[in-house]
Amino acid sequence: MLKKYAALAASLAMIAASAIATPASAQERTVKITGFGAKSGVVRVFGVNSEAALKAAAEEINKAGGVTLGDGAKAKITIEFLDDRCNAEEGISVVRRIASTDAFVAVGPTCSNVAESLFGILQKKVGDASDTGLQFPIIADVAAKGGLAKISEWSFRNVPSEFEMYKSLFAWLKTQHPDLKTIYGGVEKDFAHSNATFGVMKAQAEANGLKIAGQSEWLLADATFSTQVREMKRANPDIVAISAHPFTTCGVLKEMERQGVKPKLLIGLTSSSSIETLQGCAKQAEGIIIPTSFAPVTPEAKKAAEQVAKFGGSADLHSAAAYEIVYILKGVIESQKIMARPDTVAADRVKMREGLAALKETTGLLGKVGRTPDREAIKPFLFVHAKDGSWQVLYKPAS
Amino acid sequence: MNILDAIDTIQSIADGVLFGATYALLGIGFTLVFGVMHKINLSYAAASVGASYASLLILAGIKAPPPLVFLLAAICGGFIGGMVYIVAFRFIPLANPLATLMSTVGLLLLIDEIIVHTTAGVPLAYPALFSDVIIRAGPFSLRGDLMFVFVLGCICMMLLLLLLYRTKLGLATRAVSQQPVAAELCGISITGVNGLTFVITGVVGGIAGAMIGAAIGMLSPLLSLPLTVKGLIVTVIGGLGSIPGAIIAGLLVGGLENLFQFFRGVSERDLYIMLLLFVFLVFRPGGLFAASAERD
Repeated sequence: MLKKYAALAASLAMIAASAIATPASAQERTVKITGFGAKSGVVRVFGVNSEAALKAAAEEINKAGGVTLGDGAKAKITIEFLDDRCNAEEGISVVRRIASTDAFVAVGPTCSNVAESLFGILQKKVGDASDTGLQFPIIADVAAKGGLAKISEWSFRNVPSEFEMYKSLFAWLKTQHPDLKTIYGGVEKDFAHSNATFGVMKAQAEANGLKIAGQSEWLLADATFSTQVREMKRANPDIVAISAHPFTTCGVLKEMERQGVKPKLLIGLTSSSSIETLQGCAKQAEGIIIPTSFAPVTPEAKKAAEQVAKFGGSADLHSAAAYEIVYILKGVIESQKIMARPDTVAADRVKMREGLAALKETTGLLGKVGRTPDREAIKPFLFVHAKDGSWQVLYKPAS
Repeated sequence: MNILDAIDTIQSIADGVLFGATYALLGIGFTLVFGVMHKINLSYAAASVGASYASLLILAGIKAPPPLVFLLAAICGGFIGGMVYIVAFRFIPLANPLATLMSTVGLLLLIDEIIVHTTAGVPLAYPALFSDVIIRAGPFSLRGDLMFVFVLGCICMMLLLLLLYRTKLGLATRAVSQQPVAAELCGISITGVNGLTFVITGVVGGIAGAMIGAAIGMLSPLLSLPLTVKGLIVTVIGGLGSIPGAIIAGLLVGGLENLFQFFRGVSERDLYIMLLLFVFLVFRPGGLFAASAERD
């Protein structure tokens, strides 16, 4: 009987010991990184790609052992992604929700209009006691409008500079095609990114001696382009530059084919160097030249593209930025000795901001990425062109 | 105005009128439901786009000939039309016009989101009939695919008119439209007629969606909202419940839209179309073919 009780006691002791031991093993630390962007609406594809890229990079890091925290503990990265529907108010609400948790950084958003409003609610200058703005670091992956990170010292971007890209492209065109004299533009009038980038294209074209032969305008949801293409036909330009997203880019290209408009050169918007353009109008887009900060041309980029595809996304210049961001954050967490504990949230946020602000250079999928004092990225880029139904590298400016 | 401007003006009108045939097809759907049930189905354009998307997705992986894609779009349209009736009309008190209106707004958003989530919002290429056919006459040209849409719109109109005025179903539909209580007393199933009307308009919508996709060469969820607005404008200008009115108004809106764009640019284009709508609402609320006031 005594033996029986002894066995029972021993069993209970073992259970108790394992119960005590369980929290220790369950204390495998995690670092939660929250992404946010458009997961619904017509720009959902950007959110889908960003989420897949964030998860792909996190899985790689986790497989390699995770991230080292300030106290030496190893932690796994988990990714959560919230939908802001490309709406400024929703974006602000989403970030306020993220900031109310123990998160110490967020990655997003998709749309420039969201980023612009969102960065506006952050504290403008660090340490300004009179500014009660949100003190929470955010690093943008997609929002493309130039100079947004200037809005707050808590905002950062890993977004390519379209100004640098088109400046380089037009300078290169001048050397490669000195015979081309005139350029005609097409722009989605109701889309901030298209308008802003067309301004850049126009300025760079003029700076390189091209004459602006005119411009046609349409709206993002337009379905007919016959009038605009006829205007284009009348101008008879050497180059046509279409600053529009895939849906209308394809619509215009198809109408150009119908009306027999065949410029000597076609230039596209960075965001159109995607699979959607090829799915919609590969034949008509043949030859179009677009600068981009991503193409699977390095072993790292190829591997990243495969990883992102595994998570149901497509690697492009936007999602590649999200992928790189996870590695940037890993580096900052380790260098700044971030603890990732509920009681160190405020301190971790400050450390994260300081770490991101202190970066002079990061490693990107196409090579080294420079960082500017106003928290923007200087990313390597290349020119691709649509050829045989795929995007192929036409020229690498750095080489 | 120089000769080139004059040519472009005429060409703008011609292109717009031909594309307006797609608006006319949508207008027919809107107007038929209103004619029978005196209700506006705001999810109609979204359902049309949804049907054409469905036809592409069902046939994904097969290089299906365009006529098969279009046929499937019509079938999907009929199915979605029936579903819209069940969800947004069948069990909702018809005496409350706001309830059905709001339920169709909800369906519009729901269908849009289903499309976006199924396709990740990615535009899909849509096959076109006669896309290579362009009839040229000097500086003018007419697109074969749009002329086909125009002819198809006219055929749809004639078939619907035949259905309404030469068949028992049409007689029942008109009876339900005019005197639902009397029709029910005569043994006509109001639910059956209403449901069938939604299926028929769904088929027309599926064809319209396919034609729009074919005319643009692509489908995008972005199309739902502008097409809903255009469909409603066409329905009002054509006269609520008037099928010939919807056809004429569709062509008129298409032509004027292109003309305004040519002269005033894209920023002002829609402003003038809206102005046209207000003019009709104020001065001719019954539309182009307003029926004279008389007893049923």
